[in-house]
Amino acid sequence: MKNFYFSTKKLCVGYDNKPLIKDVEIALLKGEILSLIGPNGAGKSTVLKSIAGQLQLLGGVVYLGKHSISEMKANELAKKMSVVFTEKVKVELKTCRDIVATGRYPYTGRFGILSKEDERIVDEVIELTQITDICGKDFDKISDGQKQRVMLARAVCQEPEIVILDEPTSYLDIKYKLDFLSLLEEMREKKGLTVIMSLHELELAKIVSDKILCLKGEYAARYGTPKEVFESDFIERLFEIDRDSFLENKKLLTYVTQIGKWES
Amino acid sequence: MQKSRKRRYITVFILLGIGTLLFFILNICIGSVSIALPDAVKVFAGQGSSETITRILWDIRLPRAVSVLILGGALSLAGYLLQTFFNNPIAGPFVLGISSGAKMAVALVMVFFMGKSIKVTSAAMIFAAFIGAMLSMGFVLLMSHKVDNMSMLVVSGVMIGYICSAITELVVTFAEDADIVNLHNWSRGSFSGMTWENVKVMAVIVSITFIAVFFMSKPLGAYQLGDVYAQNAGVNIRRLRVCLVIFSSILSACIVAFAGPISFVGIAAPHLVKKFIHTTEPIWMIPACFLGGSVFCLLCDLLAKTLLAPTELSISTVTAILGAPVVLWIIKKRKGTGK
Repeated sequence: MKNFYFSTKKLCVGYDNKPLIKDVEIALLKGEILSLIGPNGAGKSTVLKSIAGQLQLLGGVVYLGKHSISEMKANELAKKMSVVFTEKVKVELKTCRDIVATGRYPYTGRFGILSKEDERIVDEVIELTQITDICGKDFDKISDGQKQRVMLARAVCQEPEIVILDEPTSYLDIKYKLDFLSLLEEMREKKGLTVIMSLHELELAKIVSDKILCLKGEYAARYGTPKEVFESDFIERLFEIDRDSFLENKKLLTYVTQIGKWES
Repeated sequence: MQKSRKRRYITVFILLGIGTLLFFILNICIGSVSIALPDAVKVFAGQGSSETITRILWDIRLPRAVSVLILGGALSLAGYLLQTFFNNPIAGPFVLGISSGAKMAVALVMVFFMGKSIKVTSAAMIFAAFIGAMLSMGFVLLMSHKVDNMSMLVVSGVMIGYICSAITELVVTFAEDADIVNLHNWSRGSFSGMTWENVKVMAVIVSITFIAVFFMSKPLGAYQLGDVYAQNAGVNIRRLRVCLVIFSSILSACIVAFAGPISFVGIAAPHLVKKFIHTTEPIWMIPACFLGGSVFCLLCDLLAKTLLAPTELSISTVTAILGAPVVLWIIKKRKGTGK
């Protein structure tokens, strides 16, 4: 058996004791990128919240290395795993730098005062994630895209071994999308960062992922490499795209065909 | 930038310190009998000339001023904790009905014991108030699961407050006793008649709670970002919430047991302090809120004593006149930003 860094066994997720998706089995090596794709409401966020330990599991186990995350100490887990979810953050009188600095929480002492080292890391991350120009602004006065970048910077500032991201690029313009994905790749090269994220942009998922988990219905529809997922008409079936309805529209038909294919 | 921030924090603390001291002294010197500051100092140094003035200072004014200082701070801190808990700038022990719940429990206990001619101890009063506060808090929490809108939550709290006040009125009306006048005064909120015994009890309870709250400042800071990110930072949210509920209830209970329900300080004082200090960082806000509440209540008590002297106004009359506009101001400002 390989030494998986992150794995789930018989994972069952859902709300209020009602199972939504059953028997999710994921296995990732250190430094791999997993993307979750699937139609709206398929349960991508539910899976992400569950494996981040924010939703009670309805069954199964999530492992980080050999340890079940439900048995890890909260602070230990916080040093290993950081998240960016879609929940809106509502704060007052906090600059973007303050928000980024909250990533240092697991490392600071009783009163959460940042050490010189912490401050240095915060500055470094701000530069790395290219938010120097907005880091002095009030967090509640910037745009959604800028907020998303700040929250991503916060996640990086936590110095995680694994990040869980729910639609991390949804508000970003094309430049920042690319910059962000290249930052993820850089961090996995240099630090062995493992990434689990949901993506709506299939063409990006196809390029950056090592593994893809397709969600639809009660069970994971498919789990495999991009090559295994983007084959024949699987994507069209996953999203229930009716090719016939586009027969009149050549441009859209080409687009649909392009997206679903592995070699494009 | 960090430096200018710190300078601002320190300036605000110095100003709050000066304000506290100033109003404290004014509260001691001004009253039905005016006492010049040098005379007061002489009395406290033990060289008092007149027995009457010594008694007024030692037995009436000083314990009253100290309790206003302690309870005002406690009230403001309770408001701050509730605002953080509900992520709602107009939450406070009074508007959420927590004070009224505590008042009802205390009135029931007082009337019950008076009926049997048993003297009620401070400890029993605080305990009763705590139970009442927790009861109201329980209702508010139940409602908060149903409504996620900040104004509806406050409306529910106000309704709970009305129910509790109505029950209190009922009890007071039917209990015929010589002490009922006292009960009536207290149920409207007043700092008068504080003894050193009261001061000792409240000082112990409030200072222990204050220290406990101060030690929660780190998780509270993370909690301000919302559940998701607090949990991701390693905060035990359930435990933090339980602590917030208990500590805010203890503080509210302590205030009600000694001074009755006092309106709006819990919202106005933290808000004004936040405007001046310009941060929401709990490690600064917790002590600043406490001092801000002290200053606010010292000022209000001074006005309550002097505005229509020799008649003394109920403290809530003054806090409402000064505090309610602040609440309106918050609501007006919020309108543009949605929720």
